[in-house]
Amino acid sequence: MTMKISRRNLMQMAGAAALAGPLASATRAFAARDKELNILCWEGYNSAQVLDPFRSSHAATVKAESLTNDPTMINRLRAGETKLWDLINVNNPWARKVMAPAGLIKPLPRAEFEPYFDAMLPNFKAPYRWAMSDDGKDLLGMAQRFGPYSFVVNTDKISKSTAEEQGWDLFNDPSIAGKYGIQESEDWNVFNIFLIAGINPFKPHGEDDMKAFSATAEKVFKGAKMVGDMASLNQALVSGEIDLYMTGGTYSVSPARADGYPNLRAVTPLKGPIDGKGGISWIEITSTVNNPDLSPLATEFLKYVQAPEVAHTVAFAEGTFNPVSQMGNPKCFELFTKDELEAIQWDTLEEDMARSAEYDIVPDYDKALELLTAAKRLRG
Amino acid sequence: MSVLTASHEEAAAKPSHLAIPAGLRAAAPVILLLVLGFLAPLVTVAAYAFATPKSFDVFRSFTLANFAAIVEPSNTVWTSFVWSLSYALATTILLAIIAYPIAYGLNRMFGKWAGLVSVLFVFPLFVSENVRLYGWVLFFIKNGVLDGGLKWLGLAGGPEVLYTPGAILFGMLYVYLPFMLFPMTLGLAMIPKDLVDAARDLGAGRLMIWREIELPLAMPGILIGMLLTFVLGAGAIAESKILGGQSVITIAQDIEIAFTYAQNWPLGSALALLLVVIVSGLALFILSRLDLDRILGRR
Repeated sequence: MTMKISRRNLMQMAGAAALAGPLASATRAFAARDKELNILCWEGYNSAQVLDPFRSSHAATVKAESLTNDPTMINRLRAGETKLWDLINVNNPWARKVMAPAGLIKPLPRAEFEPYFDAMLPNFKAPYRWAMSDDGKDLLGMAQRFGPYSFVVNTDKISKSTAEEQGWDLFNDPSIAGKYGIQESEDWNVFNIFLIAGINPFKPHGEDDMKAFSATAEKVFKGAKMVGDMASLNQALVSGEIDLYMTGGTYSVSPARADGYPNLRAVTPLKGPIDGKGGISWIEITSTVNNPDLSPLATEFLKYVQAPEVAHTVAFAEGTFNPVSQMGNPKCFELFTKDELEAIQWDTLEEDMARSAEYDIVPDYDKALELLTAAKRLRG
Repeated sequence: MSVLTASHEEAAAKPSHLAIPAGLRAAAPVILLLVLGFLAPLVTVAAYAFATPKSFDVFRSFTLANFAAIVEPSNTVWTSFVWSLSYALATTILLAIIAYPIAYGLNRMFGKWAGLVSVLFVFPLFVSENVRLYGWVLFFIKNGVLDGGLKWLGLAGGPEVLYTPGAILFGMLYVYLPFMLFPMTLGLAMIPKDLVDAARDLGAGRLMIWREIELPLAMPGILIGMLLTFVLGAGAIAESKILGGQSVITIAQDIEIAFTYAQNWPLGSALALLLVVIVSGLALFILSRLDLDRILGRR
């Protein structure tokens, strides 16, 4: 038994070392971890603006790797990299529904961290559902960036009200073929294809649902002018190649709006099949990894990003610009300029979030992704 | 005591029998580096291909389920293989035709300008492939450099080429040109000018000189260029993503999806292994059909 466990550990460590390369060797180089911190995150938290002040105030080596989808990050921990990372920053359902049950993250001291939620926007007051374990006992992470994420239109071509009223049905309209793009963000595209088919993505699906999903995916991908990253899609919107794109929201369109294109706008449908809601929103939860040798700086960093100035920097770090829950604190809110609020569509943020269901896990995601990938291949 | 002495003598004698040759000792760091950096990742990928689907049981499980899933009749991943191999083949053939005159010119015609022309072809390699491809997007995009420029001149505007399968081929031709051009240029440099002159003196025409002397002597370079281009082209992904707007899904993208959104490393590894086997198999097959000795001038 001992032999088996040690071999397994050895394999996992070898795998993690091969995957993480330089970071793994860095980990070994420092016996004590009180001066180093490794963060696995969405882009923004890896920016120098956010990390440098923390590095200098703690004289610490902070390494952050940014990825642009949740499944890959969770997979890295599952592959044995819990020994490597101290913090993981992913969207809301993963902490309580996947990572905590799988033992990939560890809870935070409630007494120490819950008071921070009191200074956040009203929706985030403790106990905030997505930050808590399923049984409501453990605090699994901290909330910061969030936003509605449905689709983006050029309001010079399609008015905001038309887009909101028609909602996902816009993509069922044959006349729009060749005028829209699709973001290469397959987990979100799975949600959207279900929504275009008029089906709630977060419920278990029968055979008929999957047939409708497949047919809708084929039609939507066939009709798309392009599938690409958000920078290409924003560029295509600006140039007039396309009039709208899915998946998109404040996260994807805010850089273009900040660059002087306020006519590009994230839109949330007025209604839809998720208990009446048509939009989907995301909220990032940052958790401490179940690292056997967790850096003491992990919890320090979580506190550091709560400060109004740092929260504002996180909101406008390089890459994308997003609202943060700390905007509930007037000291944080007053740091946002009029242009910054305009870029993140603060004027309609509350109503957009109210019309959005929160990101959740699709029970039959694997099958749906297979059908979606097959539909994509028919584009050629 | 005598036993002890004997065993001491044996121990003293042994190292000389097992002594590692100095060359091997000196090469050990490089061998270690190659084993760790080159062989280990390949072995890991190969091992993952036989692991239980959607698991991390590498080296602990053995199944052919990943390959079974790939060859299942309902699975359309074969279309991605066909697209990738077709694009690689088309790129190789077209680049052979495009690069040959340039390589010929660099060797025989450009004279003192040959160095500058070479630098012009090398220079783009200093810039990331993605950045160069995004540059082409800005060139071809509606109201971009081409379309906007033509409209400014009062013309109708540029053709709609962006986000089409043709744009992918263009991107691949652009990106892989140096990989065909430089081995080919070296190959053409191997042709002794005296041999061409002698053939001409003996009455050979331009076509005969090209077919009987230049082409066979330059063939090692041409073949290396074609192999490099084909292998790189088969794994191409950025061209289809950036210029092609994913109008075609390549096999590299299917592998990426398996490793990321699908959380299925074993399936991704099986696809990668299959691609390696197909590409290396095709390359070896083609090489075996060619008389390498004759081509390489050993006979």
